Parts: sequence; structure tokens; C-alpha cells
Amino acid sequence: MNDREILAGVAAVAAEHLDWREPLLPEMRLVEDLRLDSIRLLTLAVEVENRFRVCLDETEDSALVTVGDLVAAVKRKLVG
Amino acid sequence: MAEVDKSTVVATLLAAAAHGRGGLRFLDRAERETFHPWPEILERARAAAGRLQRLGIAPGDRVAIVLPTGVDFFDAYFGIQLAGAVPVPLYPPVRLGRLDEYHRQTAAMLEAAGARLLLTERRLQLLLGETVERARPELGCARLVDLPERSFREVAVAPGDLGLVQFSSGTTVDPKPVALSHRALMAQVRVLNALWPERDGVAVTGVSWLPLYHDMGLIGCVLPAMDLPSEMTLIGPEVFVTRPAVWLRAISRYRAFISPAPNFAYGLCVTKVRDDELAGVDLSSWRAALNGAEAIAPGVARAFIERFAPFGLRPEALTPVYGLSEAALAVTFSALDRPFRSERFDRHRLADERRAVPAADGQEIVSLGRPLAGFSLRVVGPEGAEQPEGRVGRVWITGPSLMEGYLGRPEATARALVDGWLDTGDLGFLWQGELYLTGRAKDVLILRGRNYAPDLVEHAVDGLPGLRTGCAVAVSWLPEGAEGEVLALFLEAHRDSSEAQLTALPEAARQAVLGATGLAVDEVVLVAPGTLPRTSSGKLRRAETLKRHRAGELEPPAAVTALRLAGSFARSGLAWARLKVGGGRRG
Repeated sequence: MNDREILAGVAAVAAEHLDWREPLLPEMRLVEDLRLDSIRLLTLAVEVENRFRVCLDETEDSALVTVGDLVAAVKRKLVG
Repeated sequence: MAEVDKSTVVATLLAAAAHGRGGLRFLDRAERETFHPWPEILERARAAAGRLQRLGIAPGDRVAIVLPTGVDFFDAYFGIQLAGAVPVPLYPPVRLGRLDEYHRQTAAMLEAAGARLLLTERRLQLLLGETVERARPELGCARLVDLPERSFREVAVAPGDLGLVQFSSGTTVDPKPVALSHRALMAQVRVLNALWPERDGVAVTGVSWLPLYHDMGLIGCVLPAMDLPSEMTLIGPEVFVTRPAVWLRAISRYRAFISPAPNFAYGLCVTKVRDDELAGVDLSSWRAALNGAEAIAPGVARAFIERFAPFGLRPEALTPVYGLSEAALAVTFSALDRPFRSERFDRHRLADERRAVPAADGQEIVSLGRPLAGFSLRVVGPEGAEQPEGRVGRVWITGPSLMEGYLGRPEATARALVDGWLDTGDLGFLWQGELYLTGRAKDVLILRGRNYAPDLVEHAVDGLPGLRTGCAVAVSWLPEGAEGEVLALFLEAHRDSSEAQLTALPEAARQAVLGATGLAVDEVVLVAPGTLPRTSSGKLRRAETLKRHRAGELEPPAAVTALRLAGSFARSGLAWARLKVGGGRRG
């Protein structure tokens, strides 16, 4: 799965579970731009894990600032 | 038959294991279950206690636990107590969240509790590194499985010994550790279990997704199930938040009688659970859908009952309750066998005269019921005099499960506990013998069932351009018609601030708070320099700020009268799932 496909999957999660109706861009920040509070961040993490059938490394969690960071983390898990 | 000793949590665990009935069941994300009977829970706890003793944990030591919902939590929780030590459950970090504030707060709690050791798991151990670095618990941060084994040596635990330290209030730099004795914990458990007697030899069962660092989850669910003994099914809070239907399905699957949750959880079910997730679900066993830990929105309660009635939910199941950490948990309960009660009171007489006067078009407030067996309640006026029914004042309580005090905080304890009575810091009145709350005199934010120190939010905006340094006030309250408490942030403009700075301030403040705390601010209010109420020593008065705001008495900065409206009511296109009941979020 390439970055574009993973981004599309993350965008589908954001649309279904976070009501995000605008395009999702890699440079968008999860907190400041997507305005995710702690419950919605948790929802994003869990639903992305469900969709891609991966377990994100929680020790990396706090380093994931942007949508692009999240896409890269999913990719590492899919490859790894 | 001789009376079974259940005077401590430890004795009660031994009794549950000897009885042989019941245990703890865990449901994972995929709703796969693992069941651990009480004898197995005890055996695992003994092994844990042996390891802790070998490490040097002695009776009375505080041991912090940062573990997700799972059997590992109970190995630690009961193991600590078998060793005569005191568990201090703390919340794990939030997924994807920033951790600076988490480290600071958790370190402050470790220090306040005087924790000698922190028990956690592999995944969290790395994350907690900075917390441990700051607080430096004497024996560090460990996983139970990494500790060398040793056979457990029994320790005498007395009812007066501390059985739990939990946090609920204070500030981020000075959190107040609530110290509860085994006697208090078991007194609370007995009062709760007396509400649902065994029928035909069948003990009631429960389901809970509540976090185990929350008193409603641990003291309210797990300990009563152990006392009966019975079985309790536990779901991780993260599973509930992302898939609330799992909670309702579990209640149906295990025929649960008891399952408590805060107001927000009932709202989340209304907005998120779809019919196709409830195929075959029957909620008719659910008699105690306890609703506590935060202000109850009547519209949400009604919407929940209506939404799930087709799935067998009994209208009388939803039961408003009131309690606080300092009382181990519950203080008042509504009747279990009738629908919840609410009354309407004249809003102006309530605010201006502090009197409850029924009015058909008044403010609707949910009754929290009557004091539980052994508890008493009085409403106290400004001069300390007990108020008659219908007069608003501070709620004081007494009962068998009050805390010993705030650990290591004699002054704070002396302020809260006077002659065996506890000042709850809540404001309310009695009406026909039932408790109604109108607000809080204490400084605490209560959002989604969790308490937060207001300074957590206020510090997040420190240094923003245009803000007068240190002049931010965070409060939360339940506006009429809202589906839960809203978080409001009052910001005093700097005298020399430019219009551009003030224009940018509300959004900058929202982002700063969201980033630092994970909390979404519902309302930002800019006020003119010098208008936030202060004490004679210059400390900001939060409750008074809210009171004046609600009365429309706070002045915006002269230059930005129009701006205040924009700042106050602008909403992101992505405000988190809001309920559309009772006329929307703000009334």
C-alpha cells in the first residue's frame, strides 16, 4: 500500500468517524488543524488501527503531529 | 453460620475466593472474553504480592498503578493490598496526545501520594520515562512480571489501614490525594450492595467500561461484585468511546443488572449507536443504569430512554446518583423503581434569591435522590446556618465511607472535614427530601465524568499575545438545554493589546488548550482589563467569574465589543459530536 492509498484510508476514517468533510492533507496537524480533542484523537487512533489491521506503536504516538506522520506510522507497521 | 470477615478489601477477596462464585470477565475490542474466577484473581494477586515484598514493598507504602483495563491491573491492585500496601491508580496517557502536561501532572500525583513504586506494562514503560524522571519514586517504575519471584508472606491488614489513594481535585501542581481506609471502602460497598439483594440465590451481575482509576469503576463496580460475590464484566474505556454499542451488547449478553456511566456516555450512545449494531440486544435486565460523576442533562436522559426503549430498556432503569471521591463514591441515589425525577424552578429566584420556587416554565433540574443508608446531608448557608428545604447553599454530608483526609495535607483536610462532616463544595438545595444541585463553590472542571484542575487549562494560554499575564479563568457548568457541562475560558485583555491581537486571541487560546490538555473549549470570553473578579489578595475568583458571566455582568474590552460575540460563539466546523437534544448545546 502506498502513501496515497493510506492517506485515502485515513481520510475515509476521518469522514466516517470524525465528520471531517474537507480534503485531508498530509501537512494538516491533528490537533490544531483537525481540532481533535482527546476523545477524537483516541477515535482516530483506534479506527485507523481497525481499518489497516495494525497496532500503532504507542511509544511513538505523541510524535505523530500531522496527518502525514500518521500515514508514515501506518506504513511502517504494514511493511514491518 | 459464622459471619464471614469482610472488614477489609483483602478479607473480602479471600471470602470471594473461598465462596467460589463469580469473578472478573474482560472483553476486548473484538468482544472476545476472558474470565478469571475470584480464586484465580486471588492466586495471581498472591504471586504479585510476593514479588512486591521481595522488592521491599512494606505495609503502608503507596504503589502507583498505570495500567489499562485487564487482569494485569488486578494483579497489581490486589497484590499491593495483600502486601499491606496502598494502591494509587493513575490514568494512562491519552492516545496521540501531547505528553508534556501528562508528565507534569502524573509526576505531581506520584509525589503527592508519596508513591515508592510505579507499576506499569511494557508499552507504557517507555512513555512514562519522563514522568518517572521527574517524580523519582524510590523503587522506580517496573512491570510485575520483571520482578523476581518470592513466595508471599501473609500480612495483617486492619480496617483502619489505608486501602486506596485516589485523586479528584486540587491543582495540577498541588493535587489532593484522597486517602480512604479499608473500613470506608467496605462501608461504601455494603451500602451499595444493600440496594440489590440476592434473589433466589442469584446475585446481581454488572458490566462496566469505566476507567479503573475512576472511583465509579473500581469502588462502584469491582468491589461490590467481589463482596457479593458475583461477576463483573469489564471493557476498556477506549473500546466504549470508539464503539459504544459494545457496552450495550455486553449488558444484554451477560444479563447485567448494574452498569453505571456519566451523563456524556448516555449521550454518546444516542448519537453513535446504530440499530444494526444492536441486533438481538435485550436491555431488560438492566435495572441500575446509574448516572453520576457529572451534571445530568435531563434532555440527554430522556433521549437515552426513548432511543433504547425498543431494545427493552426500562424507563425506570436510568437512575441519577450523586457522590464524590472524598466519600469513597456514592452519597445519594434516586429510587431504582421509578423513572428519574426532574422539576422546574424559577431561574431568577434561584440565581438572585438562592430560593427554589417551582415554576412551570422554569429551569429544569434533575433530582439526585436521597441520602443512602447511613448518610446524612445538610445544606448550609453563607453564615454556616443549616438551610430549610428549598434554600440554596453548600452541601455538607456525613456517612460511613468518608475519607480519612487528604494524604499529607492537614490544612486542606481541616477545611474539608469538620466534626465528621464533609464540605462537598457543591451548591444545591433539598426539595421534598431530594437533592438538586445548582453549581459548585469549589474550583474544579467536570467534563465527561472526569475532574480537571482549572489551572491545567489556564496555564495552557500563558503568554499568548494580547492576554494580560496570568489573567485567565477556566470554568465548566451545565447551561440549560445543553447536553453536558461546557468549558468556558475567560481571558482578560492586556491594556496595550492591539485589535489584531485580540482578534486572534480566542482561536489561539482554543488551539493552545486543545494541544496542551486535549480539551475542547466551548466558549472563549474576552473581557476588559481589570474586570475578572479577584480576592483581596489578588487571586482570581472562578465561581464568581461564572456567576457574573451568567448574570451578564462581565464587560468586554471596549475596542472589541463586537468581537466578543464572534469569539464566544464561533464554532469550528468540526466541534466534536454534539447531541441535538433539548434544543442543542447552549440554552
